[in-house]
Amino acid sequence: MGLAIDIVKHDGTRDSESFSREKLHKSIVAACLSVRTPVGQAESIANAVSASVMAWLEDKPEVTSNDLRVVTAKHLHSHHPDAAYMYEQYRITI
Amino acid sequence: MDIVSSLAIIALAALIHTSFQLSVSVLTLLSGHSIVAKHSQAKVLRLTSSFVFGVGVMTILLLSFISIIFLNTFNGSTPDIAWAMVCGLLVGVSLAVWLFYYRRQSGTSLWIPRPMANFLNERAKATSHSSEAFSLGLTSVIAELVFIIAPLAVSALVLVQLPAIWQLVGIGLYGVISMLSLVIIWALLGGGHRLSDIQKWRENNKYFMQFAAGAGLLILGFFTYVTEVVGRSIGGL
Repeated sequence: MGLAIDIVKHDGTRDSESFSREKLHKSIVAACLSVRTPVGQAESIANAVSASVMAWLEDKPEVTSNDLRVVTAKHLHSHHPDAAYMYEQYRITI
Repeated sequence: MDIVSSLAIIALAALIHTSFQLSVSVLTLLSGHSIVAKHSQAKVLRLTSSFVFGVGVMTILLLSFISIIFLNTFNGSTPDIAWAMVCGLLVGVSLAVWLFYYRRQSGTSLWIPRPMANFLNERAKATSHSSEAFSLGLTSVIAELVFIIAPLAVSALVLVQLPAIWQLVGIGLYGVISMLSLVIIWALLGGGHRLSDIQKWRENNKYFMQFAAGAGLLILGFFTYVTEVVGRSIGGL
């Protein structure tokens, strides 16, 4: 499902893209699985976090990918701190 | 220089090499992506083992390659200017490590070219066969060449002065010690430790590792300069 929200890339060098709930959901599931969370639990955490992020996005025409990442990590932290940590680390490991 | 001192220099250089973090970062990413891709634990182990093997092979190949260049160039009797240049390289890389090794942000991002970092990130994600993991190991060593060139160069200079059998021992010693950190992380991941715990430890201790690597390079450069340049010019230590 795509909301009419533009995601502005963090370095400003690439084109913005439409928000995709599916992409957000997949990235949260990946963070949970990377810390060996069972698949079912990862899916339900991703559903809950995606819903919270959608609520935050509702009144915004555009957000930066960095803001989206920070807000997602904040919501994920209340469900699974280790997964939230890995979510934050994804682009800053190398 | 006697054999024990030569092997001690090689061991210290390899210890400095093992404190560099790019291969460890790629290994944690590879492991994370393999777990997310729902590969079996056996397959995750196969992939990570192939990666570690690739790193080891490229490290030994590089050390042997640099040694052969030195051997052919200097024919077994290294001039003082070559020792002085390698000591300068050690000091220069030491300062670069202190100033630039980690990017000034959270996480464990390194000062390697961003396109190279992105390439390694994408390849770690796309890797699903042992041969790809092996190649990724080879590539990650090349990507860190700008930092590991100093310990490799001084080890190669020391190696070419040793008798043939001790050259093999020296190469083996360097290979084993330079792989220590990677093998420890590999064993932890294979034993089921959480990636988040490993990554947190790395992030919390990154400045210590940076300081240790820089200090090690500086000490190695100073020791080598005193032993090989000053010592020989005043009559031989």
